[in-house]
Amino acid sequence: MKHLPKHLQPRYRYLAVALEAWPDTDVDRSSLETRLRRSARDLLGDVGVAATDLSIVRFDYADGRGSAIVRTRRESVTETRAAIACVSTLEGAPIGLYVAGISGTVRACSEKYIGERPEPVTERNVVYGSAERTAWCRDDRVDIRTDGAFLGATNLDLE
Amino acid sequence: MFEAVHVAPEGQSTLARVAATAADHGFEGLVVRNHGDRPAAPPPDELLDQSDVDLVAGVEIRAEDPSRASGFLGSHRPETTIVLVHGGDPAINAFAVRQEAVDVLAHPMAGDGDLNHVLVRQAAENGVRLEFDLSTAMRSVGNDRSRAIRKLRKLAELVEKFHVPYVVSGDPWSHLQLRSPRDLRSVAEAIGLAPAMVETGLAEWGRLAERNRDRMDESFIAPGVRKRPGDEP
Repeated sequence: MKHLPKHLQPRYRYLAVALEAWPDTDVDRSSLETRLRRSARDLLGDVGVAATDLSIVRFDYADGRGSAIVRTRRESVTETRAAIACVSTLEGAPIGLYVAGISGTVRACSEKYIGERPEPVTERNVVYGSAERTAWCRDDRVDIRTDGAFLGATNLDLE
Repeated sequence: MFEAVHVAPEGQSTLARVAATAADHGFEGLVVRNHGDRPAAPPPDELLDQSDVDLVAGVEIRAEDPSRASGFLGSHRPETTIVLVHGGDPAINAFAVRQEAVDVLAHPMAGDGDLNHVLVRQAAENGVRLEFDLSTAMRSVGNDRSRAIRKLRKLAELVEKFHVPYVVSGDPWSHLQLRSPRDLRSVAEAIGLAPAMVETGLAEWGRLAERNRDRMDESFIAPGVRKRPGDEP
């Protein structure tokens, strides 16, 4: 089908979203997109989801850190932002999403708000609470494996 | 703007980690609101020196009945900057709004909790801030969420009508649950609260901390009355 003339094309906004999760959590593009849609449906209803018209246009994630660009209609930026903020788990695993900025084009969005890929995570043993534990470290942030769960910490917390 | 958080061992992140994330999200400060029976691990000294955000010691008093809550209030008040009471129970709500020593009545509408014009007026008279806790509205679905949103809207109507001071929080239990002020603002707008309330409510934590630190200062006697340096004790 012939596409719409420029002045009739919908206006979009692109939201740069930073992702954070525990290092063993797997996040992929389609599960995140499904989750965002579900969150939007729970919060805004079917009509609201249709109005936001949201989709993920860029996605990058590895070992607990990542970024995504979410496209939405210009008129529904606030609703989409709220739907993103309401996502706290992905397939049962905790996940943190944070809207870093909003732009009118994908390129401006990724240049302005999505930085370099985060440095790779390193696994090492650390001492926390006078016990030695396995931890995943990146810059000064450390995710420590405790009995069956993770503890978010920084280098300052280590002994 | 400030956020009030549960940190390890109650939450899943240490204060240092939440503070680092809060700085990324543009918060000016954090209030630690661990429940009284699970206090936060003492923060490392380096953190207090070099943190980008203001760290405020707080406690959320959780008790089964008002008499026990009263005991905890007496023991925590002298040494804690911000004292919250874990609301949501009708008896505890009624107790907390009558106490000038209480800074914040946390999540008064949670569970069976409810407020009416009488309690709200008492809160305003005694300077007890009522909390808009957005956590259930953000992190649950279905009937629980609808109920939470309905009660938050009722609270907003009461607060506006009686000019009660209030605070707003997303009540995060880890750095992953922390949301930025602008994200919280969008959530508030989506659930039918005035977005400006979020800024006022997040900033109120900071004002409260400043006021209480001033009151805990040695020279403070009463509002407007101060000891001069060199005065006889």
